[in-house]
Amino acid sequence: MDLLCKICSWPACLLARLPGIGPIVKMCFTSIGQKILMALTGLALVGFLVTHLAGNLLLFKGEEQFNTYAENLHSLGGALVVAEVGLFGAFAVHMCLAISTTAMSRRARKSSYAEQQSKRDDVILGGGGASRFMLITGVLIGAFLVLHVADMKFNLRDKLGITQFEHGDEESGNLYLHVRQVLRDPVTRVVYLVALLGLGIHLSHGISSAAQTLGLHHRRWNVLIRGGGMLLAWAIALGFLSIWVLGFLK
Amino acid sequence: MSGDTLTLTLRIWRQNGPNEAGGFREYRLSGVSTHMSFLEMLDVLNEQLIESGEEPVAFDHDCREGICGMCSLMINGQAHGPDKATTTCQLHMRQFADGDTITIEPWRATAFPVVRDLVTDRSAFDRIISAGGYVSVNTGNAPDGNSIPVPGHQQEKAMDAAACIGCGACVAACKNASASLFVSAKVSQLAILPQGSQERTSRVLDMVNQMDEEGFGHCTNTYECEAACPVEVSVSNIARMNREYIRASIVAGE
Amino acid sequence: MVHIASEPLNSRVPEGAIETLWDKHRFNMKLVNPANKRKFKVIVVGTGLAGGSAAASLGELGYEVDAFCFQDSPRRAHSIAAQGGINAAKNYPNDGDSIWRLFYDTVKGGDYRAREANVYRLAQVSSNIIDQCVAQGVPFAREYGGTLANRSFGGAQVSRTFYCRGQTGQQLLLGAYQALMRQAQLGKVNIYARREMLELIVVDGVARGIVVRNLTTGQLETHTADAVVLCTGGYGNVYYLSTNAKGCNVTAAWRCHKRGAYFANPCYTQIHPTCIPVSGDYQSKLTLMSESLRNDGRVWVPKDSSDKRPPSEIPESDRDYYLERRYPSFGNLVPRDVASRASKERCDAGYGVGDTGLAVYLDFADAIRRDGEDTVRKKYGNLFHMYHKITAEDPYKSPMRIYPAVHYTMGGLWVDYHLMSNLPGLFVLGEANFSDHGANRLGASALMQGLSDGYFVIPYTIGDHLAKADLPPVPEDHPACVEAVQAAESRINRLLSVGGRRTVDSFHRELGQIMWDNCGMARSREGLESAVGQIQDLRDQFWTDVRVLGGQETLNQSLEKAGRVADFMEFAELLATDALNREESCGGHFREEHQTSEGEAQRNDEDFSYAAAWEFHGVGEDPTLHKEPLTFENVPPTTRSYK
Repeated sequence: MDLLCKICSWPACLLARLPGIGPIVKMCFTSIGQKILMALTGLALVGFLVTHLAGNLLLFKGEEQFNTYAENLHSLGGALVVAEVGLFGAFAVHMCLAISTTAMSRRARKSSYAEQQSKRDDVILGGGGASRFMLITGVLIGAFLVLHVADMKFNLRDKLGITQFEHGDEESGNLYLHVRQVLRDPVTRVVYLVALLGLGIHLSHGISSAAQTLGLHHRRWNVLIRGGGMLLAWAIALGFLSIWVLGFLK
Repeated sequence: MSGDTLTLTLRIWRQNGPNEAGGFREYRLSGVSTHMSFLEMLDVLNEQLIESGEEPVAFDHDCREGICGMCSLMINGQAHGPDKATTTCQLHMRQFADGDTITIEPWRATAFPVVRDLVTDRSAFDRIISAGGYVSVNTGNAPDGNSIPVPGHQQEKAMDAAACIGCGACVAACKNASASLFVSAKVSQLAILPQGSQERTSRVLDMVNQMDEEGFGHCTNTYECEAACPVEVSVSNIARMNREYIRASIVAGE
Repeated sequence: MVHIASEPLNSRVPEGAIETLWDKHRFNMKLVNPANKRKFKVIVVGTGLAGGSAAASLGELGYEVDAFCFQDSPRRAHSIAAQGGINAAKNYPNDGDSIWRLFYDTVKGGDYRAREANVYRLAQVSSNIIDQCVAQGVPFAREYGGTLANRSFGGAQVSRTFYCRGQTGQQLLLGAYQALMRQAQLGKVNIYARREMLELIVVDGVARGIVVRNLTTGQLETHTADAVVLCTGGYGNVYYLSTNAKGCNVTAAWRCHKRGAYFANPCYTQIHPTCIPVSGDYQSKLTLMSESLRNDGRVWVPKDSSDKRPPSEIPESDRDYYLERRYPSFGNLVPRDVASRASKERCDAGYGVGDTGLAVYLDFADAIRRDGEDTVRKKYGNLFHMYHKITAEDPYKSPMRIYPAVHYTMGGLWVDYHLMSNLPGLFVLGEANFSDHGANRLGASALMQGLSDGYFVIPYTIGDHLAKADLPPVPEDHPACVEAVQAAESRINRLLSVGGRRTVDSFHRELGQIMWDNCGMARSREGLESAVGQIQDLRDQFWTDVRVLGGQETLNQSLEKAGRVADFMEFAELLATDALNREESCGGHFREEHQTSEGEAQRNDEDFSYAAAWEFHGVGEDPTLHKEPLTFENVPPTTRSYK
């Protein structure tokens, strides 16, 4: 891990010398800077999730609406590729920072306590509880994404002959039917459920945490920021779960 | 307030030196008055240890009135023990029950190496202040005190942050051993006051840089620090430090 | 028998009108040219208000400074615990204050036993201190409009006290600490934390260095310099129970005394009237409740000594507000010595309250009724919180119980107008010296003195010494250094090798009891004579029966304590000797033989208008008394009255 950090820091050192943006690049390699990048990429991903959810809720509207939406989306062509690359970039940065900050905090306490108890009053419901699971829920979400993209974008499981999805063909396929079919698959059911619950937990700390990292903190608005973050987190998770439920419907 | 006494089992971390292995040792202590402070209870234990020929437990303490920040101790997994807004020296034994087992550990953080038993080296905090936690004004240069007006509410906010006693409980309680609360308290105090605004850009960059160099972790945003802080320094200071930091990174070198 | 030196001490106070002394003297003192300053090294021992501010200011001037403290960080010195505030003659409230009035109040408050010239200088620079601290970012309390706020304190009829809630000492100290750390960053000051000074190195009669023990490694280190500035606080812990921090000690000052520095007025100790009473034998320290509480709190006991009702059930007519009764013009805001003796008088007469009968009430019911609980909380919230924590009683609901406790020591190493001791090159600042408070210190004046000495006096006077003295280099293997290290080492070995049965704390507690009973709030010839004998016996016992475990090469807190208590054992005898010698009552020194028919202190200006500076000749040997005559040309001595 340390070696990885060292290798990564080489180009950073060079970039940090650049006039003008030097301090900003430098910032990305400090504890606070990393948290800020983490917050920004995290919020970008939340933004994606919201639009993705909005589009996917069209599944409830029926086959025609959903497929039209998909076609419109694909007709964006180059713009879509740019968006996808951006999305992938945000995700990659978010993941790398997760590894780097975790390594930093492990180094910060090499020997652990025999016993540790919270002194917070609201430790079960508050952000404190969820924060312990950021890495594990993050890994779960990552694993889910591999399966999700493989199925939905590349139809890999079908192509590799692991599971048969007859509507997944990119040219002639019917995306609506493909989605419904994937959702009915038992592996999908288990992985999606676990990952979506993980997503809820991850975001329930992540959104309000990002707000704090970016300096959004005000005695009067804190309830709104923390409550709103929690609400948004579970709204997204439950929204996606409603689509997961679709897999059980005829 | 009767004269209740307790019998306790103490599990205390003993370690002879910075580079030696440490471990827990158990002691039974009876006749502990509920009016005693936690450190007075340890005094009584130490008296008994000396009489029995065992070296007393080393622990840091000085003012014993909650302001010098020298006392520490992780008590049953909580920095400064179970009572809120309290230092270990102001924690009283009435918080415990007869027959309790109390686990006592030093602050644990890579940046706070153990010196002996429960004593740790917190000089990292001094180096962070050295990096920029001051107003650069030489003696004799000051204008009249009232020539720098500070509105009452602003002064109160600065005072809330300035109340930090530098004990390190925030680091001890944080699962990442982050020093964000300590650093942000000083950054905030001086950023809020007009006297400190001249150096706000370099101050926050230098102090954060030093904080990272000392090997503290990054902020978890879980606010365990605030809950453990004996003088209730608010995490709003961390948010302010973050804002100061973003601003400074953008405008630095102007 | 006390030997009395025939020559009076020369305080080096310049001639002239008191208002012009300091200005003129600053011109007359020699300067060190800016380029030469870096060639001089100065050692500062202690990093409280005096030491922190001195080290920072000297670093700013360009001197090479080594700063030492026994705590783990310079920020922890016990100045941090000062609660109430700091005086300055700013006259912001427009209530008639002036430099002259602050000077007058301080001389009178000190019961005419302070050196006028020093006090005047203190009053003069008091305003600069506030300005300096504001510029450093000390968050002093402000009015809504943004100007600085003031409150009143004991012994004064004007509001001249600046404050930061109940944590003024903390904020001032952090200001000085930050200035110090800035110099550390700039490379002008080297900080040596967890070091305890054990010896002063004197070469050809001039102080040239110190020997310290590195408390983490046990190593004895020699540090040489061109001057030594001692800022090591007071000796209140000779009483074991006091409001001082556990680590406060007389060791550094005492070791200088043993090397020839005179110790002045050790019998002037201040017993603070408002502390939380003792609750049991295990008690390790006493906690002060700031004097500022007497602004709004009213002190009373029941009129009937057999009245055991809870305070809330005792009606107004059955309460004795004895301070208001005895001192109608100052009321609850009489100076500390007067307030302490008055509560002792009531408790001795059987009117004390609480389980032990050694407490009086400090009641806020009227203030809460008048201003509302919120206002009271804003002014004193942290003090009420602290009281609640310690006693588990809520002072918003029932009155606090308070009793006097040892708090501050006006005595200390003798210094002249330059704050230099009789040993050239040894400067003593803050509580460690004897200079400014006479026999009693007024509230909020200790912070003022510490910072005045460090920020605004030593930077000038040290230059005069360095410019004039002949200071050949002192290598670490100089015989004086070697001898000092050996002395420190043999003392440590002696402590470790006694191998007795009793713990250091048990001796300290016993010493404290002897001192409190015989050299406390009231003293008598009989008591003091018996104390001297008891101290000598206890000291002999200590050296045959103390048990110090562990070794020298590690962190060894028992060994640290043992060294300090050993010094207290020697020092205590000097304190009692001084108290015996001073056949009068003044300020914090109250001799039962010398009181008025109303029980007030009776001074003897004819025979005792002098500072008593003692010269050491050996443990158990009679010291020599050097007198510095005190003359009062500007504030003619009167019987101090607060009625």
